[in-house]
Amino acid sequence: MNPFTVHRGKVAVLDWTDVNTDLIIPARYLKRIERVGYGPLLFADKRYAAGGAPPIDDPEKHGPLDPAFPLNRPENQGASVLVVGRNFGCGSSREHAVWAVAQGGYAVVIAPGKDEGFADIFEGNALNNGLLAVEIPQADWDRIVELAGPGGAEAVVDLQALKITVQKGPATVEVPFFIPETRRERLLQGLDAISETLLLEPNIDRYEKESAAWLRPATA
Amino acid sequence: MPATLFQKVWDRHVLANTNEATLLYIDRHLVHEVTSPQAFDGLRLAGRKVRRPDLTFATIDHNVPTEDQLNIGDPLSRRQVETLRANAREFGVNFYDIQSGRQGIVHVIGPELGITLPGTTIVCGDSHTSTHGAFGALAFGIGTSEVEHVLATQTLWQGKRPAALGVEVTGTLPRGLEPKDIILAVIRAIGTAGGTGTVIEYYGPAIRALSMEGRMTVCNMSIEGGARAGLIAPDDVTFEYFSKTDRPYAPKGAALDAAIADWRTLATDPDAKYDSHVTIDASKLVPQVTWGTNPAMTVDADGRIPTLEELPSTLREEAGRAFQYMGLTPGTPVSEIPIDVVFIGSCTNGRIEDLRAAAQVMKGRKVAAGVRALVVPGSEQVRSQAHAEGLDRVFEEAGAEWRQAGCSMCLAMNPDRLQPGQRAASTSNRNFEGRQGPGGRTHLVSPSMAAAAAVTGRFTDVRRLLDA
Repeated sequence: MNPFTVHRGKVAVLDWTDVNTDLIIPARYLKRIERVGYGPLLFADKRYAAGGAPPIDDPEKHGPLDPAFPLNRPENQGASVLVVGRNFGCGSSREHAVWAVAQGGYAVVIAPGKDEGFADIFEGNALNNGLLAVEIPQADWDRIVELAGPGGAEAVVDLQALKITVQKGPATVEVPFFIPETRRERLLQGLDAISETLLLEPNIDRYEKESAAWLRPATA
Repeated sequence: MPATLFQKVWDRHVLANTNEATLLYIDRHLVHEVTSPQAFDGLRLAGRKVRRPDLTFATIDHNVPTEDQLNIGDPLSRRQVETLRANAREFGVNFYDIQSGRQGIVHVIGPELGITLPGTTIVCGDSHTSTHGAFGALAFGIGTSEVEHVLATQTLWQGKRPAALGVEVTGTLPRGLEPKDIILAVIRAIGTAGGTGTVIEYYGPAIRALSMEGRMTVCNMSIEGGARAGLIAPDDVTFEYFSKTDRPYAPKGAALDAAIADWRTLATDPDAKYDSHVTIDASKLVPQVTWGTNPAMTVDADGRIPTLEELPSTLREEAGRAFQYMGLTPGTPVSEIPIDVVFIGSCTNGRIEDLRAAAQVMKGRKVAAGVRALVVPGSEQVRSQAHAEGLDRVFEEAGAEWRQAGCSMCLAMNPDRLQPGQRAASTSNRNFEGRQGPGGRTHLVSPSMAAAAAVTGRFTDVRRLLDA
């Protein structure tokens, strides 16, 4: 995982609430056993004109885009900071949803409401993939959307300073944000969680040695 | 310090606390074919082993065709299934293959094989892992990176301990109502994000009165209310689940006695406080039907679809999209909505009691003309039990299709799916756009409501059929 320090990029807004993981990536694509190739599958059933979603075994092959889908607007092309509505990523545990967002070109996702911006599992999956998922107060989110909604805004997301700066022409919106310190450290350093955990192996051994006998599966 | 059930189970499993992060030991790891291939790949790349193959239990469910399990036509489904078979062999984990007698939906076989135990931590790369909370286990869904982490370390990093949301269900569930109606009513009350950042504990007389199957239905859909997990304190109903039936992996004899003595201590202490709390009166419930594209968009079976003006302004935009996708006119009475397909099954409602409830309604009746009804047992064991009780004949005589075990039409990953525009009465858990097939329209209901829809061709308040 690459360390995340400061990200600068174009902002796109998809202000729908309750965007679920089936919408982010339909279940049929979960038949893939690969770890890459999910970018074109992001919002596959919304993003392409009818019948244009890629076949499962060839993500790069797809029909024309549906111009009605907000992220397809010309001003949103090349965006890497995605501003989304409340409860983004609700539904299934599929990490494919985070892979699709990250491989679809986004480095940061911003949602409104403490503990309500992202579904819990999506947020955890984002962390494990170096995708920065930031929850900010509704009022701050409103200010960003007001500025960036029509398109053409740039953001600087600074994980060291915990600050989002959105700029469009002479107008600027500056918003502080908070994420738990452990998460921040892991993102800043791009740490591999497994190696980190294995430093605590004595604790794991102790639990396994001391736990009750009934916890061991009976031989079946 | 007085503690809730959730706090007790959590605290038992804490291996380390660093600032705002907690390392939990995981007692049981369930694995299926969809969310595991990239995790096993990760282990191979790093030259790692599965730390506790004896605590890791894998099966095939999402991709399995339920008409003929052995005949997987789709080459991508077949590749995914074969990948898990090969990974299970290579890494030495427990594996229940198709037609082993133990295969089924991972959340159905976990309890029936005695893998699921009270007071344990259980994870799976599947959000409906919350099902196992019915036993007083802390059970939740994880992503594929976390699956790899658990395979390698038998542990999982979490944030600080989530808040506990108490959901009290008072009263007695009236005739014709099912556990599914309780959980749909809870989600309707708290909203799809109402439980985000929390773990729910369900309690109260209406919960105590439920069988283990019913409790599993309730806990299963905790995730639809946004909660990571939902738990119910173990009691005599729970203990009987292990003492009356042989559960291969569960403790037996003296070990079971010791376990039960311990499990009795897991109840929430009288002075313990939930961080937040809601109460639902079960005696006032009527059968629930979802109308929209998230599981909180629910109405009473004897009511009508809301109008935009009746909805809070914050929900109108989403509701507007839902009306359009669902092909519904606001204000339509629920009883006037015709259906094309009925699906009875899934990890929410694919257990024996669910099939009994559906059979009770279908017995002596016929599936309405033009309606396709699928009845899909949640596991091979449920299927055998249904055969022993003659339920398969009830379904077949009514004109329903009696299938083999799998996830089936809950999600469009196997041949069972809706065609664009088709409307389904479904006992599954998600009514998201495209969930049961692109363009498919899903209404979530209880098994008896699904059976009532099958025999009448539209949504029918099942209480009217039971009284007839």
